[in-house]
Amino acid sequence: MNAVEGRRLYKTYGELVAVDHIDFDVRERECFGFLGPNGAGKTTTMKMIYGLAGVDEGELRVLGLDARKERRKVKSRLGVVPQEANLDWDLTVRENLVQQALYYGAQADGRIDELLALAQLGQRSASKPRELSGGMQRRLLIARALINQPELIVLDEPTTGLDPQARLAVWDLLDGLKDGGVTLILTTHYMEEAERICDRLAIMDQGKIVAYGSPGELRDRYGQPNLEGVFIEITGRGLRE
Amino acid sequence: MTLAFPSLRMAFRVWRRDLRVFSSLWKGALLPTFLDPVLYLLAMGFGLGAYIASINGIPYKDFIASGLVASAAMWATAFETTYNVHFRMTEYRLYDNVLSTPVEVEDLVLGEMAWACTRAVIYGTVFLIIVALFGLIHSPWAVVTPVFIVIGAACFAAIGLSFTTIVGKVDYFTYYYTLFVTPMFLFSGIFYPLDRLPQWTHVVAWFTPLYHLVLITRGLILGPHLLSVLGNTLWLVVVTAGLFSVPVIWMRKRLVP
Ligand SMILES: Nc1ncnc2c1ncn2[C@@H]1O[C@H](COP(=O)(O)OP(=O)(O)OP(=O)(O)O)[C@@H](O)[C@H]1O
Ligand SMILES: [Mg+2]
Repeated sequence: MNAVEGRRLYKTYGELVAVDHIDFDVRERECFGFLGPNGAGKTTTMKMIYGLAGVDEGELRVLGLDARKERRKVKSRLGVVPQEANLDWDLTVRENLVQQALYYGAQADGRIDELLALAQLGQRSASKPRELSGGMQRRLLIARALINQPELIVLDEPTTGLDPQARLAVWDLLDGLKDGGVTLILTTHYMEEAERICDRLAIMDQGKIVAYGSPGELRDRYGQPNLEGVFIEITGRGLRE
Repeated sequence: MTLAFPSLRMAFRVWRRDLRVFSSLWKGALLPTFLDPVLYLLAMGFGLGAYIASINGIPYKDFIASGLVASAAMWATAFETTYNVHFRMTEYRLYDNVLSTPVEVEDLVLGEMAWACTRAVIYGTVFLIIVALFGLIHSPWAVVTPVFIVIGAACFAAIGLSFTTIVGKVDYFTYYYTLFVTPMFLFSGIFYPLDRLPQWTHVVAWFTPLYHLVLITRGLILGPHLLSVLGNTLWLVVVTAGLFSVPVIWMRKRLVP
Protein backbone atom coordinates (compact mmCIF):
# COMPACT_ATOMS: atom_id res chain seq x y z
CA MET A 1 0.00 0.00 0.00
CA ASN A 2 1.13 3.56 -0.66
CA ALA A 3 1.31 6.04 2.20
CA VAL A 4 -0.19 8.80 0.06
CA GLU A 5 -1.98 8.64 -3.29
CA GLY A 6 -2.95 11.82 -5.11
CA ARG A 7 -5.10 11.55 -8.23
CA ARG A 8 -5.90 14.54 -10.43
CA LEU A 9 -5.55 16.81 -7.37
CA TYR A 10 -6.75 20.32 -8.09
CA LYS A 11 -6.97 23.40 -5.91
CA THR A 12 -7.65 27.07 -6.59
CA TYR A 13 -7.55 30.19 -4.44
CA GLY A 14 -10.15 32.35 -6.15
CA GLU A 15 -8.93 32.80 -9.71
CA LEU A 16 -5.49 31.43 -9.00
CA VAL A 17 -4.82 27.76 -9.75
CA ALA A 18 -2.40 26.66 -7.02
CA VAL A 19 -2.36 22.92 -7.74
CA ASP A 20 -3.30 21.84 -11.22
CA HIS A 21 -4.38 18.20 -11.58
CA ILE A 22 -1.35 16.46 -10.13
CA ASP A 23 -0.87 12.70 -9.72
CA PHE A 24 1.66 11.19 -7.35
CA ASP A 25 2.25 8.26 -5.02
CA VAL A 26 4.33 8.28 -1.89
CA ARG A 27 5.42 4.77 -0.98
CA GLU A 28 5.50 3.53 2.57
CA ARG A 29 8.79 4.09 4.39
CA GLU A 30 10.33 6.23 1.69
CA CYS A 31 11.43 9.83 1.78
CA PHE A 32 9.57 11.74 -0.92
CA GLY A 33 10.49 15.29 -1.91
CA PHE A 34 8.59 18.15 -3.55
CA LEU A 35 10.86 20.64 -5.32
CA GLY A 36 10.06 23.74 -7.27
CA PRO A 37 10.38 27.52 -7.39
CA ASN A 38 8.44 29.87 -5.08
CA GLY A 39 4.71 29.65 -5.67
CA ALA A 40 4.92 26.28 -7.46
CA GLY A 41 2.24 24.79 -5.19
CA LYS A 42 4.39 22.71 -2.83
CA THR A 43 2.96 24.07 0.42
CA THR A 44 -0.58 23.86 -0.91
CA THR A 45 -0.05 20.20 -1.76
CA MET A 46 1.36 19.53 1.71
CA LYS A 47 -1.55 21.36 3.33
CA MET A 48 -4.05 19.24 1.45
CA ILE A 49 -2.28 16.17 2.84
CA TYR A 50 -2.36 17.39 6.46
CA GLY A 51 -5.84 18.86 6.30
CA LEU A 52 -5.20 22.61 6.26
CA ALA A 53 -6.36 23.17 2.69
CA GLY A 54 -9.50 21.79 1.12
CA VAL A 55 -9.26 19.58 -1.98
CA ASP A 56 -11.34 21.14 -4.77
CA GLU A 57 -11.18 18.21 -7.17
CA GLY A 58 -9.53 14.82 -7.41
CA GLU A 59 -8.86 12.08 -4.93
CA LEU A 60 -6.45 12.04 -2.01
CA ARG A 61 -5.78 8.98 0.10
CA VAL A 62 -3.49 9.27 3.13
CA LEU A 63 -2.50 6.14 5.08
CA GLY A 64 -5.29 4.29 3.32
CA LEU A 65 -7.96 6.80 4.35
CA ASP A 66 -9.90 9.35 2.32
CA ALA A 67 -8.22 12.60 3.37
CA ARG A 68 -11.37 14.63 2.71
CA LYS A 69 -13.76 12.52 4.75
CA GLU A 70 -11.63 11.13 7.56
CA ARG A 71 -9.60 14.15 8.45
CA ARG A 72 -9.52 13.58 12.19
CA LYS A 73 -8.28 10.02 11.79
CA VAL A 74 -5.69 11.03 9.22
CA LYS A 75 -4.39 13.90 11.30
CA SER A 76 -4.01 11.79 14.43
CA ARG A 77 -1.44 9.63 12.59
CA LEU A 78 0.54 12.45 10.99
CA GLY A 79 3.34 14.70 12.15
CA VAL A 80 3.54 18.18 10.63
CA VAL A 81 6.44 20.62 10.35
CA PRO A 82 4.98 23.75 8.75
CA GLN A 83 6.88 26.24 6.64
CA GLU A 84 6.11 29.08 9.08
CA ALA A 85 7.10 28.63 12.71
CA ASN A 86 3.69 28.50 14.42
CA LEU A 87 4.84 27.69 17.92
CA ASP A 88 2.79 28.60 20.97
CA TRP A 89 4.60 31.79 21.88
CA ASP A 90 2.85 32.14 25.25
CA LEU A 91 4.06 28.78 26.52
CA THR A 92 7.58 27.64 27.35
CA VAL A 93 9.52 25.23 25.13
CA ARG A 94 8.61 22.32 27.39
CA GLU A 95 4.96 23.38 27.66
CA ASN A 96 4.79 23.52 23.86
CA LEU A 97 5.53 19.80 23.78
CA VAL A 98 3.26 18.98 26.74
CA GLN A 99 0.35 20.84 25.14
CA GLN A 100 1.00 19.25 21.74
CA ALA A 101 0.82 15.82 23.36
CA LEU A 102 -2.53 16.82 24.83
CA TYR A 103 -3.93 17.85 21.43
CA TYR A 104 -3.21 14.30 20.27
CA GLY A 105 -4.28 12.70 23.53
CA ALA A 106 -0.81 11.10 23.52
CA GLN A 107 0.93 9.80 26.63
CA ALA A 108 4.20 11.67 26.47
CA ASP A 109 5.60 11.95 30.00
CA GLY A 110 8.82 10.15 29.19
CA ARG A 111 9.07 11.41 25.62
CA ILE A 112 9.27 15.11 26.38
CA ASP A 113 12.84 14.98 27.72
CA GLU A 114 13.83 12.62 24.96
CA LEU A 115 12.49 15.01 22.31
CA LEU A 116 14.08 18.02 24.00
CA ALA A 117 17.43 16.22 23.87
CA LEU A 118 16.87 15.25 20.25
CA ALA A 119 16.25 18.92 19.38
CA GLN A 120 19.27 19.88 21.51
CA LEU A 121 17.01 22.12 23.56
CA GLY A 122 17.40 20.40 26.93
CA GLN A 123 19.05 23.51 28.37
CA ARG A 124 16.34 25.82 26.99
CA SER A 125 13.22 23.99 28.11
CA ALA A 126 12.08 26.89 30.32
CA SER A 127 12.61 29.54 27.63
CA LYS A 128 9.82 31.06 25.57
CA PRO A 129 10.12 30.23 21.83
CA ARG A 130 10.71 33.92 21.02
CA GLU A 131 13.97 33.71 22.95
CA LEU A 132 15.22 30.94 20.67
CA SER A 133 17.15 31.48 17.46
CA GLY A 134 15.44 30.70 14.16
CA GLY A 135 17.31 27.41 13.87
CA MET A 136 16.35 26.38 17.39
CA GLN A 137 12.70 27.17 16.61
CA ARG A 138 12.88 24.88 13.56
CA ARG A 139 14.33 22.11 15.71
CA LEU A 140 11.51 22.57 18.23
CA LEU A 141 8.98 22.36 15.37
CA ILE A 142 10.51 19.05 14.31
CA ALA A 143 10.51 17.71 17.87
CA ARG A 144 6.87 18.78 18.23
CA ALA A 145 5.95 16.86 15.07
CA LEU A 146 7.23 13.63 16.64
CA ILE A 147 5.17 13.81 19.83
CA ASN A 148 2.41 11.44 18.63
CA GLN A 149 4.85 8.90 17.12
CA PRO A 150 3.49 9.52 13.62
CA GLU A 151 3.59 7.02 10.79
CA LEU A 152 3.94 9.78 8.24
CA ILE A 153 5.69 13.11 8.72
CA VAL A 154 5.11 16.07 6.42
CA LEU A 155 7.96 18.60 6.55
CA ASP A 156 7.65 21.91 4.67
CA GLU A 157 11.19 23.27 4.25
CA PRO A 158 12.53 21.66 7.42
CA THR A 159 16.09 22.88 6.95
CA THR A 160 15.53 26.43 5.69
CA GLY A 161 17.50 28.81 7.87
CA LEU A 162 19.61 26.13 9.54
CA ASP A 163 23.40 26.34 9.72
CA PRO A 164 25.30 23.53 7.92
CA GLN A 165 25.84 21.60 11.13
CA ALA A 166 22.20 21.80 12.19
CA ARG A 167 21.18 20.75 8.68
CA LEU A 168 23.38 17.66 8.92
CA ALA A 169 21.80 16.92 12.29
CA VAL A 170 18.31 17.11 10.73
CA TRP A 171 19.35 14.83 7.87
CA ASP A 172 20.66 12.28 10.39
CA LEU A 173 17.44 12.58 12.33
CA LEU A 174 15.35 12.02 9.20
CA ASP A 175 17.51 9.02 8.23
CA GLY A 176 16.92 7.61 11.69
CA LEU A 177 13.16 8.07 11.43
CA LYS A 178 13.11 6.41 8.03
CA ASP A 179 15.08 3.45 9.35
CA GLY A 180 12.47 3.23 12.10
CA GLY A 181 9.77 2.75 9.44
CA VAL A 182 8.37 6.28 9.20
CA THR A 183 7.34 7.72 5.83
CA LEU A 184 8.63 11.23 5.09
CA ILE A 185 7.37 13.88 2.71
CA LEU A 186 9.33 17.09 2.52
CA THR A 187 9.80 20.19 0.44
CA THR A 188 13.13 21.87 -0.07
CA HIS A 189 14.90 24.49 -2.15
CA TYR A 190 18.26 22.77 -1.70
CA MET A 191 19.18 20.45 -4.57
CA GLU A 192 21.97 18.75 -2.68
CA GLU A 193 19.52 18.06 0.14
CA ALA A 194 17.02 16.45 -2.21
CA GLU A 195 19.72 14.31 -3.82
CA ARG A 196 21.09 13.33 -0.42
CA ILE A 197 17.92 12.32 1.41
CA CYS A 198 15.02 11.81 -1.04
CA ASP A 199 14.36 8.36 -2.47
CA ARG A 200 12.01 9.86 -5.03
CA LEU A 201 10.73 13.30 -5.79
CA ALA A 202 8.38 15.46 -7.80
CA ILE A 203 9.49 18.74 -9.33
CA MET A 204 6.60 21.20 -9.47
CA ASP A 205 6.15 24.35 -11.52
CA GLN A 206 3.04 26.54 -11.71
CA GLY A 207 0.89 23.98 -9.98
CA LYS A 208 1.93 21.06 -12.17
CA ILE A 209 4.33 18.19 -11.62
CA VAL A 210 6.89 18.56 -14.41
CA ALA A 211 9.23 15.73 -13.42
CA TYR A 212 8.73 12.69 -11.19
CA GLY A 213 11.04 9.83 -10.17
CA SER A 214 14.21 9.04 -8.23
CA PRO A 215 17.06 11.59 -8.44
CA GLY A 216 19.13 9.10 -10.44
CA GLU A 217 16.32 8.36 -12.90
CA LEU A 218 15.68 12.04 -13.49
CA ARG A 219 19.36 12.83 -14.10
CA ASP A 220 19.64 9.93 -16.54
CA ARG A 221 16.35 10.70 -18.33
CA TYR A 222 17.34 14.29 -19.06
CA GLY A 223 21.06 13.66 -19.37
CA GLN A 224 21.92 16.16 -16.63
CA PRO A 225 24.56 16.07 -13.89
CA ASN A 226 22.10 17.32 -11.23
CA LEU A 227 18.46 18.25 -10.51
CA GLU A 228 19.01 21.93 -11.20
CA GLY A 229 20.02 20.91 -14.74
CA VAL A 230 16.91 18.71 -15.02
CA PHE A 231 14.66 21.66 -14.18
CA ILE A 232 16.41 24.01 -16.62
CA GLU A 233 16.17 21.34 -19.30
CA ILE A 234 12.39 21.06 -18.79
CA THR A 235 11.41 24.71 -18.28
CA GLY A 236 14.28 26.76 -19.62
CA ARG A 237 14.54 28.47 -16.21
CA GLY A 238 16.45 27.96 -12.99
CA LEU A 239 14.84 26.24 -10.00
CA ARG A 240 15.32 29.11 -7.55
CA GLU A 241 12.68 31.58 -8.83
CA MET B 1 -19.78 22.50 3.52
CA THR B 2 -20.83 20.10 6.25
CA LEU B 3 -21.36 21.16 9.84
CA ALA B 4 -20.38 18.62 12.45
CA PHE B 5 -21.02 18.56 16.18
CA PRO B 6 -17.92 19.49 18.15
CA SER B 7 -16.08 16.90 20.20
CA LEU B 8 -16.10 17.80 23.89
CA ARG B 9 -12.82 15.98 24.43
CA MET B 10 -11.07 18.02 21.73
CA ALA B 11 -12.65 21.28 22.90
CA PHE B 12 -11.35 20.56 26.40
CA ARG B 13 -7.81 20.32 25.01
CA VAL B 14 -8.13 23.78 23.45
CA TRP B 15 -9.58 25.15 26.71
CA ARG B 16 -6.73 23.57 28.68
CA ARG B 17 -4.15 25.46 26.64
CA ASP B 18 -5.74 28.79 27.46
CA LEU B 19 -5.87 27.87 31.14
CA ARG B 20 -2.14 27.02 30.99
CA VAL B 21 -1.36 30.49 29.68
CA PHE B 22 -3.77 32.23 32.08
CA SER B 23 -2.27 30.51 35.13
CA SER B 24 1.08 32.09 34.45
CA LEU B 25 -0.35 35.53 33.65
CA TRP B 26 -3.25 36.34 35.95
CA LYS B 27 -1.30 37.62 38.94
CA GLY B 28 0.37 40.30 36.87
CA ALA B 29 -1.12 41.57 33.67
CA LEU B 30 -4.72 40.54 34.27
CA LEU B 31 -5.20 41.90 37.78
CA PRO B 32 -6.50 45.36 36.70
CA THR B 33 -9.45 43.73 34.96
CA PHE B 34 -10.75 42.70 38.38
CA LEU B 35 -10.74 46.32 39.48
CA ASP B 36 -12.79 47.79 36.60
CA PRO B 37 -16.30 46.99 37.88
CA VAL B 38 -15.23 47.91 41.42
CA LEU B 39 -14.35 51.39 40.16
CA TYR B 40 -17.79 51.74 38.57
CA LEU B 41 -19.44 50.56 41.74
CA LEU B 42 -17.52 53.09 43.83
CA ALA B 43 -17.91 56.02 41.44
CA MET B 44 -21.52 55.49 40.44
CA GLY B 45 -22.97 53.46 43.27
CA PHE B 46 -21.45 55.32 46.16
CA GLY B 47 -20.80 58.63 44.36
CA LEU B 48 -23.98 59.13 42.36
CA GLY B 49 -25.83 57.00 44.89
CA ALA B 50 -25.39 59.78 47.43
CA TYR B 51 -27.78 61.86 45.30
CA ILE B 52 -30.10 59.17 43.97
CA ALA B 53 -31.38 57.40 47.02
CA SER B 54 -33.29 54.61 45.37
CA ILE B 55 -34.76 53.28 42.12
CA ASN B 56 -38.15 51.59 42.34
CA GLY B 57 -37.58 51.19 46.05
CA ILE B 58 -34.12 49.59 45.66
CA PRO B 59 -31.11 51.53 47.04
CA TYR B 60 -29.15 52.87 44.06
CA LYS B 61 -25.86 51.13 44.81
CA ASP B 62 -27.65 47.82 45.22
CA PHE B 63 -29.43 48.44 41.92
CA ILE B 64 -26.30 48.98 39.86
CA ALA B 65 -24.13 46.42 41.68
CA SER B 66 -26.49 43.65 40.56
CA GLY B 67 -26.22 44.90 36.96
CA LEU B 68 -22.46 45.35 37.01
CA VAL B 69 -22.06 41.63 37.72
CA ALA B 70 -23.46 41.03 34.24
CA SER B 71 -21.30 43.63 32.52
CA ALA B 72 -18.14 42.30 34.22
CA ALA B 73 -18.84 39.03 32.42
CA MET B 74 -19.48 40.86 29.15
CA TRP B 75 -16.22 42.82 29.21
CA ALA B 76 -14.14 39.77 30.06
CA THR B 77 -15.66 37.88 27.13
CA ALA B 78 -15.37 40.78 24.69
CA PHE B 79 -11.60 41.18 25.02
CA GLU B 80 -11.06 37.45 24.95
CA THR B 81 -13.05 36.77 21.81
CA THR B 82 -11.88 39.78 19.80
CA TYR B 83 -8.25 40.77 20.37
CA ASN B 84 -7.02 37.56 21.98
CA VAL B 85 -8.63 35.23 19.46
CA HIS B 86 -7.55 37.44 16.57
CA PHE B 87 -3.91 37.31 17.67
CA ARG B 88 -3.98 33.56 18.10
CA MET B 89 -5.67 33.09 14.73
CA THR B 90 -3.94 35.63 12.49
CA GLU B 91 -0.74 36.89 14.09
CA TYR B 92 0.56 33.87 16.00
CA ARG B 93 -0.87 31.31 13.56
CA LEU B 94 -1.52 29.24 16.65
CA TYR B 95 -4.68 27.72 15.20
CA ASP B 96 -2.83 26.45 12.12
CA ASN B 97 -0.96 24.12 14.43
CA VAL B 98 -4.01 23.20 16.49
CA LEU B 99 -5.93 22.30 13.32
CA SER B 100 -3.08 20.09 12.08
CA THR B 101 -3.74 17.86 15.10
CA PRO B 102 -6.98 15.87 15.51
CA VAL B 103 -8.74 19.07 16.64
CA GLU B 104 -11.26 20.36 14.08
CA VAL B 105 -12.59 23.90 13.61
CA GLU B 106 -15.85 23.23 15.50
CA ASP B 107 -13.87 21.87 18.48
CA LEU B 108 -11.62 24.90 18.41
CA VAL B 109 -14.56 27.32 18.42
CA LEU B 110 -16.24 25.47 21.30
CA GLY B 111 -12.98 25.36 23.26
CA GLU B 112 -12.40 29.09 22.83
CA MET B 113 -16.02 29.79 23.80
CA ALA B 114 -15.60 27.67 26.90
CA TRP B 115 -12.46 29.57 27.79
CA ALA B 116 -14.17 32.95 27.33
CA CYS B 117 -16.93 31.70 29.65
CA THR B 118 -14.34 30.61 32.18
CA ARG B 119 -12.82 34.07 32.23
CA ALA B 120 -16.26 35.63 32.54
CA VAL B 121 -17.05 33.38 35.50
CA ILE B 122 -13.76 34.20 37.18
CA TYR B 123 -14.20 37.95 36.79
CA GLY B 124 -17.95 37.93 37.41
CA THR B 125 -17.68 35.80 40.54
CA VAL B 126 -14.84 37.81 42.04
CA PHE B 127 -16.96 40.92 41.57
CA LEU B 128 -20.00 39.15 43.00
CA ILE B 129 -17.99 38.38 46.13
CA ILE B 130 -16.97 42.03 46.39
CA VAL B 131 -20.64 43.02 46.04
CA ALA B 132 -21.47 40.59 48.84
CA LEU B 133 -18.76 42.09 51.04
CA PHE B 134 -20.37 45.49 50.55
CA GLY B 135 -23.59 43.93 51.82
CA LEU B 136 -25.51 44.55 48.58
CA ILE B 137 -26.97 41.07 48.14
CA HIS B 138 -30.57 40.52 49.13
CA SER B 139 -31.34 36.95 48.15
CA PRO B 140 -29.73 33.55 48.73
CA TRP B 141 -30.38 32.79 45.05
CA ALA B 142 -27.31 34.92 44.33
CA VAL B 143 -25.13 31.84 44.87
CA VAL B 144 -26.29 30.36 41.55
CA THR B 145 -25.41 33.54 39.64
CA PRO B 146 -22.14 32.04 38.25
CA VAL B 147 -24.13 29.39 36.38
CA PHE B 148 -26.05 32.12 34.58
CA ILE B 149 -22.89 34.11 33.96
CA VAL B 150 -21.68 31.08 31.96
CA ILE B 151 -24.86 31.09 29.89
CA GLY B 152 -24.68 34.83 29.24
CA ALA B 153 -20.96 34.66 28.51
CA ALA B 154 -21.52 31.88 25.96
CA CYS B 155 -23.83 34.25 24.10
CA PHE B 156 -21.34 37.15 24.26
CA ALA B 157 -18.61 34.77 23.11
CA ALA B 158 -20.62 33.51 20.14
CA ILE B 159 -21.21 37.12 19.05
CA GLY B 160 -17.56 38.14 19.62
CA LEU B 161 -16.21 35.14 17.72
CA SER B 162 -18.63 35.78 14.86
CA PHE B 163 -17.45 39.38 14.65
CA THR B 164 -13.76 38.48 14.84
CA THR B 165 -13.87 35.70 12.26
CA ILE B 166 -16.02 37.68 9.81
CA VAL B 167 -14.18 41.02 10.09
CA GLY B 168 -10.67 39.57 10.28
CA LYS B 169 -8.93 42.96 10.46
CA VAL B 170 -7.83 44.26 13.84
CA ASP B 171 -8.20 47.87 12.62
CA TYR B 172 -11.99 47.50 12.68
CA PHE B 173 -12.24 46.01 16.16
CA THR B 174 -12.93 49.40 17.74
CA TYR B 175 -16.32 49.34 15.99
CA TYR B 176 -17.26 46.31 18.05
CA TYR B 177 -16.71 48.34 21.19
CA THR B 178 -18.04 51.70 20.05
CA LEU B 179 -21.14 50.39 18.29
CA PHE B 180 -21.96 47.32 20.34
CA VAL B 181 -20.26 46.73 23.68
CA THR B 182 -20.25 50.29 25.06
CA PRO B 183 -23.86 51.09 24.02
CA MET B 184 -24.98 47.81 25.57
CA PHE B 185 -23.10 48.70 28.73
CA LEU B 186 -24.80 52.09 28.94
CA PHE B 187 -28.31 51.25 27.72
CA SER B 188 -29.07 47.77 29.07
CA GLY B 189 -30.57 48.91 32.33
CA ILE B 190 -27.47 48.62 34.48
CA PHE B 191 -27.39 52.27 35.59
CA TYR B 192 -31.10 53.08 35.37
CA PRO B 193 -34.27 51.21 34.49
CA LEU B 194 -35.59 51.61 30.95
CA ASP B 195 -39.15 52.31 32.22
CA ARG B 196 -39.18 56.01 31.41
CA LEU B 197 -37.41 55.78 28.06
CA PRO B 198 -39.46 55.62 24.82
CA GLN B 199 -40.88 52.27 23.85
CA TRP B 200 -38.48 51.73 20.93
CA THR B 201 -35.48 51.67 23.29
CA HIS B 202 -37.02 48.67 25.01
CA VAL B 203 -37.34 46.92 21.68
CA VAL B 204 -33.70 47.59 20.80
CA ALA B 205 -32.58 46.53 24.27
CA TRP B 206 -34.57 43.32 24.00
CA PHE B 207 -32.37 42.28 21.08
CA THR B 208 -29.13 42.61 23.08
CA PRO B 209 -27.79 39.85 25.33
CA LEU B 210 -26.60 42.14 28.11
CA TYR B 211 -30.18 43.35 28.74
CA HIS B 212 -31.25 39.77 29.42
CA LEU B 213 -28.23 38.92 31.55
CA VAL B 214 -28.79 42.05 33.67
CA LEU B 215 -32.40 41.01 34.30
CA ILE B 216 -31.11 37.59 35.34
CA THR B 217 -28.37 38.75 37.71
CA ARG B 218 -30.64 41.41 39.20
CA GLY B 219 -33.45 38.91 39.54
CA LEU B 220 -31.18 36.53 41.44
CA ILE B 221 -29.35 39.05 43.61
CA LEU B 222 -32.14 41.40 44.64
CA GLY B 223 -34.93 38.97 45.19
CA PRO B 224 -35.82 35.88 43.30
CA HIS B 225 -37.81 36.67 40.15
CA LEU B 226 -37.47 33.13 38.92
CA LEU B 227 -39.89 33.28 36.01
CA SER B 228 -38.06 36.26 34.56
CA VAL B 229 -34.73 34.44 35.10
CA LEU B 230 -35.98 31.44 33.13
CA GLY B 231 -37.41 33.50 30.28
CA ASN B 232 -34.23 35.52 29.83
CA THR B 233 -32.10 32.39 30.05
CA LEU B 234 -34.10 30.86 27.26
CA TRP B 235 -33.38 33.91 25.08
CA LEU B 236 -29.63 33.57 25.69
CA VAL B 237 -29.57 29.84 25.02
CA VAL B 238 -31.51 30.11 21.78
CA VAL B 239 -29.35 32.93 20.42
CA THR B 240 -26.12 31.15 21.37
CA ALA B 241 -27.18 27.91 19.71
CA GLY B 242 -28.30 29.79 16.63
CA LEU B 243 -25.02 31.65 16.30
CA PHE B 244 -22.58 28.83 16.99
CA SER B 245 -22.15 27.81 13.37
CA VAL B 246 -21.23 31.36 12.25
CA PRO B 247 -17.67 31.45 13.65
CA VAL B 248 -17.21 27.80 12.63
CA ILE B 249 -17.99 28.58 9.01
CA TRP B 250 -15.90 31.75 8.91
CA MET B 251 -12.93 30.33 10.72
CA ARG B 252 -12.90 27.39 8.37
CA LYS B 253 -13.03 29.76 5.43
CA ARG B 254 -9.99 31.59 6.79
CA LEU B 255 -7.88 28.74 8.12
CA VAL B 256 -8.80 25.77 5.93
CA PRO B 257 -9.38 27.48 2.57
N1 LIG C 1 -4.12 31.22 1.47
C1 LIG C 1 -3.88 31.57 0.20
N2 LIG C 1 -4.71 32.44 -0.42
C2 LIG C 1 -4.50 32.81 -1.70
N3 LIG C 1 -3.51 32.34 -2.46
C3 LIG C 1 -2.63 31.47 -1.91
C4 LIG C 1 -2.78 31.05 -0.55
N4 LIG C 1 -1.78 30.18 -0.27
C5 LIG C 1 -1.04 30.09 -1.39
N5 LIG C 1 -1.55 30.85 -2.39
C6 LIG C 1 -1.04 30.97 -3.76
O1 LIG C 1 -0.95 29.66 -4.31
C7 LIG C 1 0.23 29.50 -5.07
C8 LIG C 1 1.02 28.33 -4.54
O2 LIG C 1 1.52 28.67 -3.26
P1 LIG C 1 2.33 27.66 -2.35
O3 LIG C 1 2.46 28.28 -1.02
O4 LIG C 1 1.71 26.32 -2.43
O5 LIG C 1 3.76 27.64 -3.09
P2 LIG C 1 5.13 26.97 -2.64
O6 LIG C 1 5.54 26.07 -3.73
O7 LIG C 1 5.03 26.39 -1.30
O8 LIG C 1 6.11 28.24 -2.62
P3 LIG C 1 7.35 28.58 -1.63
O9 LIG C 1 8.53 27.87 -2.17
O10 LIG C 1 7.49 30.06 -1.80
O11 LIG C 1 6.99 28.19 -0.27
C9 LIG C 1 0.98 30.83 -4.99
O12 LIG C 1 0.71 31.55 -6.17
C10 LIG C 1 0.37 31.52 -3.80
O13 LIG C 1 0.36 32.91 -3.98
MG1 LIG D 1 5.88 26.79 0.51
